[in-house]
Amino acid sequence: MSEQEDRLARCFASVFPALTPEEIRAASIESVAAWDSLRAVTLVGVIQQEFAVNIDPLDLPELNSFEALRSYLGLNDITGRSEA
Amino acid sequence: MNLLDALELLNRPIAEPVSVREVILECGFTPVYLKTFLAAHLRLCLPKHRIEMRTGLYGDLAGDLERVQLSDRSVVCVVLEWADLDPRLGIRSLGGWRSMDIPDIVDSARRQSERLTHLIRQLADSASVCVCTPTLPLPPIFTTRGDQAHHHECQLREIAASLAASLSSCRRVKFLNLQRLDELSPLGRRFDAKAEITSGSPYSLEHASKVAELLAVLIRDSPPKKGLITDLDDTLWAGILGEVGVQGISWDMAGHAHMHGLYQQFLASLASAGVLLAVASKNDPALVEQALGRTDILLSRDSLFPLEAHWGPKSESVGRILETWNIAAGDVIFIDDSPMEVAEVRAAFPEIGCVEFPKSDYQGIWDLIKELRDCFGKGIVTREDEIRLHSIRAVSPVKNSLQERGLGVEDFLRNSGATVTFCLGTDARDNRAFELINKTNQFNLNGKRFSESEWVSFFRDPTAFLLAASYEDKYGPLGKIAVVMGKITGHKLYVTSWVMSCRAFSRRIEHQCLKYLFEKLDAEEIVFDYEATPRNGPLQDFFTASFGEPPVPALSIRKADFDVKVPALFHQVLEVASV
Repeated sequence: MSEQEDRLARCFASVFPALTPEEIRAASIESVAAWDSLRAVTLVGVIQQEFAVNIDPLDLPELNSFEALRSYLGLNDITGRSEA
Repeated sequence: MNLLDALELLNRPIAEPVSVREVILECGFTPVYLKTFLAAHLRLCLPKHRIEMRTGLYGDLAGDLERVQLSDRSVVCVVLEWADLDPRLGIRSLGGWRSMDIPDIVDSARRQSERLTHLIRQLADSASVCVCTPTLPLPPIFTTRGDQAHHHECQLREIAASLAASLSSCRRVKFLNLQRLDELSPLGRRFDAKAEITSGSPYSLEHASKVAELLAVLIRDSPPKKGLITDLDDTLWAGILGEVGVQGISWDMAGHAHMHGLYQQFLASLASAGVLLAVASKNDPALVEQALGRTDILLSRDSLFPLEAHWGPKSESVGRILETWNIAAGDVIFIDDSPMEVAEVRAAFPEIGCVEFPKSDYQGIWDLIKELRDCFGKGIVTREDEIRLHSIRAVSPVKNSLQERGLGVEDFLRNSGATVTFCLGTDARDNRAFELINKTNQFNLNGKRFSESEWVSFFRDPTAFLLAASYEDKYGPLGKIAVVMGKITGHKLYVTSWVMSCRAFSRRIEHQCLKYLFEKLDAEEIVFDYEATPRNGPLQDFFTASFGEPPVPALSIRKADFDVKVPALFHQVLEVASV
């Protein structure tokens, strides 16, 4: 498991604290009942700040699972960390 | 604080919350990030409180303010933005930015501002309200270039400023200081157009965190420090008095010591607001008196008491000053240019805020002055603030004289010509009573503090009472120095809070308060909601000395027992409708 994936898992855990580590890695908008629009906004916000990325709103509908976000961040070759 | 830190902080359980605070966040935009950051900063500011947060509906700030339901634990935070004054001042509305539209936007903003002013004023009748006026840049709707302020732009800023000016005199309304926000959050990095369009949340994460941080500090409303002890040489003035003489020390431009003059001027400002000032200096006392007597000094000699000028250790000076002031070390700041002296005082009094004076560092002195304003700042200056130093100064030599003459407290009290003036009622607008309850530590029944809304709510109960006592003797007035509050059931009183200023100790005012309550309210028994706190030793001593046993929770005193044990009281007692 990469350091980047761990950071993404930490972002998920901060927004969905009730999920176990295993549930986080399998999380999707269908499997997590708490994944509503408010939490989606929060999740995007925390990921953008943590990974110092600017997620295009047009991509948001596709970013509906842990795996999708992991792939998105990988595709965008994210290596940095946001400033505190 | 970043968003991840905020969320993780909020996910941690609170260790033994002592009470619940309800914060109602009212804003016209989606407060998703602001709410999270505010909750997180409140967790840091009020670690022992469970914070319950509520928010209103999107896009209807005025409607939300009309509908808000308050409880006695509520604090309301109103975060205004330009779009709340007119939606065309935001970017989600496409209502038109033509030059002929702008006067109408200004008129509409003025009307909405007046409506919001009225609603906030109404809320402040029952709850504490923290207000943040617009923080975002105005949109580029004016016909001038961005570097030239347009007349209509100036009018909009005047509208926001008028709202603040109109409400700032309300005791329960506190405004976030935009100047402080400007220091923390650069204007160009506040607005997030993408977040505004996609989620209706116009604040960048960074800006949301800074606004939340300042709002949390407003909500916490920590009590100010009470006293400042300053060194003299290379602190209050530039130069070593013993080396350069009285005329050699300086605090002006000519002597390249203007920042010391600024420090003096600032201390004079603190003194005028009731802050106690004292001197701890290793110096020749006669020379010090001459130096402080210079006509060009900016800080009056009378503002400084006690004045400890000698060659003994500073920690001993500080100890005597604290004893004279009768306040806790934690309520005091000590300032000295010598790192060694600062270390010595810090070792002796770890609770004192010890600051090394940054001599020769203009910016450092400027920053220190701003920091001190934060330590000592208070919302209102009361009559008691104005007379505090005078009363301490007047009594101190009398006590010394009595001790020297071998006379006891009985003689002192009998000959002091004291008058206690009581005001019994339920007036929740009593600012001084509210202040005393919320800042007194030593003579305090249980340490309980009140929010504005809890305070107002308490006195809505028809069985509630509020007794305020003022004191004066031949040495001068002490002002309003004691407050007892509680509920009445038949011939039984339940005292839920009781505080008395430390300046009023040893005058048997506390006995007089109980005597008055027993007699005036025809009580047979008083039950006290007593609780030991780390700092209410003087109250515990009072009960132990008066009734023979240390106090216990739900302590009860019957009138018959009180009448036997009450010592001789020499006060003249007066009653007034309002003190």
